Amino acid sequence: MIEVDRLTKRYGTIRAVAGVTFSVGKGEVVGLLGPNGAGKTTTMRMLTTYLAPTSGRATVAGRDVLDEPLEVRRKVGYLPENVPLYPEMRVREYLRHRAVLKDVPRSRRRQATASVVSRCRLGDVENRIIGQLSRGYRQRVGLAEALLHDPEVLILDEPTSGLDPLQIREVRDLIVELGEERVILLSTHILSEVEAVCGRVVVIASGRIVLDESLEEMHGKPTIMVEARGPADAIRGALETMPEIEQVTRLERDGEYALAELAPLGDADAREAVGLRLSSRGFPIRRLDQRRSSLEERFTEVVTRDALSSARREGH
Amino acid sequence: MRHVQALLTRELAAYFLGPMAYFVLLAFQVIAFLNFWDLIDSLSIPQREFSTLKDPMSSYISSSPSFWIAILAALPVLTMRLMAEERRSGTIETLLTLPVREYEVVLAKWLAALVMYVALLLPFAIYLPFLYRQAGFYFDLGPMLGLAIGLGSMGMMMTAVGLFFSTLTRNQIVAAIWTFAVFFVLVAIAPLFYVYAVRQHAPWADAVRFLALLYQVQGFALGRLDLRVVALHLSIAVFMLYATTLVLANRDNRA
Repeated sequence: MIEVDRLTKRYGTIRAVAGVTFSVGKGEVVGLLGPNGAGKTTTMRMLTTYLAPTSGRATVAGRDVLDEPLEVRRKVGYLPENVPLYPEMRVREYLRHRAVLKDVPRSRRRQATASVVSRCRLGDVENRIIGQLSRGYRQRVGLAEALLHDPEVLILDEPTSGLDPLQIREVRDLIVELGEERVILLSTHILSEVEAVCGRVVVIASGRIVLDESLEEMHGKPTIMVEARGPADAIRGALETMPEIEQVTRLERDGEYALAELAPLGDADAREAVGLRLSSRGFPIRRLDQRRSSLEERFTEVVTRDALSSARREGH
Repeated sequence: MRHVQALLTRELAAYFLGPMAYFVLLAFQVIAFLNFWDLIDSLSIPQREFSTLKDPMSSYISSSPSFWIAILAALPVLTMRLMAEERRSGTIETLLTLPVREYEVVLAKWLAALVMYVALLLPFAIYLPFLYRQAGFYFDLGPMLGLAIGLGSMGMMMTAVGLFFSTLTRNQIVAAIWTFAVFFVLVAIAPLFYVYAVRQHAPWADAVRFLALLYQVQGFALGRLDLRVVALHLSIAVFMLYATTLVLANRDNRA
């Protein structure tokens, strides 16, 4: 649905996006991550035909962004970063106006506006002036506008920035719901958000893709955290001799408790075995959980590596 | 073309949902009223000498300083917001990612400014039927019609110029200043140049005279329907609208 091939955007001598290649298939929700100024917004702007690429190609729903911009715009719902809206208009009035501009047929306009209003829970503010709405409502108006023409592809630039935790949750639920039948590309700074809604992450740093991986792959290896009462060395001994455990990666003392981080062998869940072993040795357990290698770790790793290598390049 | 109506409706609504439109309209109503008062005054004084004979109708609009000062100030105010505000607030990003063509946007915004411009001039027209029928001052209808055509084509040109400057910047004030500068040169500076050129017996005096908006409009008010001037205004308008569309459709560097 979205095919990006060596897409480049240059502003004078600055390369904002430098040869980015990725694709998003039907039914996928992909998170575009990266530090500020990495080129996320520029990439999205090229995909929505707001900016023209300097070189490279991009097609959205089979249409080239340079050759058939109008066709692309018809297929894409776009929510820009700061949710620009006309502050003087009323919510319903604005959505009606946009429905006309988005070529929603006259007979379906009323129904289309009503459906996005209920989907984005805007019923309470339908008759209010947009300029007087809170940030959360404005975000939802922007989202409703993006959904008006029932687009196949949704491109959302930081859809939850500036929202309170409850609103973030609502928007996430909505994205998950929408992702079932659409292609969604969203950018964000909140890593837990990606874990909550996306199936795959693409990380951009200084204009290049440094990571493109499904969350499933990323979460491949789990870590077990266990906290038990007893002497740390004895606990380490009890755990290290287990066949399910490859090694104890970390051990900390906390008063009379010891906190251990374990790398299990293989994919099987070793928590039960760990629990049995420790209690059979007489170490009461206070906490026992399994953590997958987090997105945050991977993100920090790839972005730092990129920063180092670009610093080295500049050193030459 | 089918989106122009929807875009135009929004632009007009945007004018009237802010205070500026009412302000400008009120100011023009007041000026029209004062000029009409003056007109009645001068009509009631019997003219004795031919040497001081002037057309009272021309002092109502085309030679009235207050009219020119007001239109010089008001037109940039009407056009400055059109595109600069969309750029400042970022709504241009959602506007230009709609399945709408750039020329539709340009056309709708220009038409909105033109409608407002005509609305400004209407108060001047409202008094004329009263003068004609109630007061029985049977002025010539021809020159009045000529003046309407001249002011109309001037409006088409100047709103297109204003829209163009508004598209170049995200700062409304900058757009207004540029529009005002061009308008001011054409209306007020060009006649001064003409006077200077005549004194110097410069060969370009006639060219300046032809280009001076003030003389053009005064000519129309005297009943000279100069189609060359109309053609000049319209072709500048079309050129400016085309240039605006090109600027808007340039996707290379929008940021």
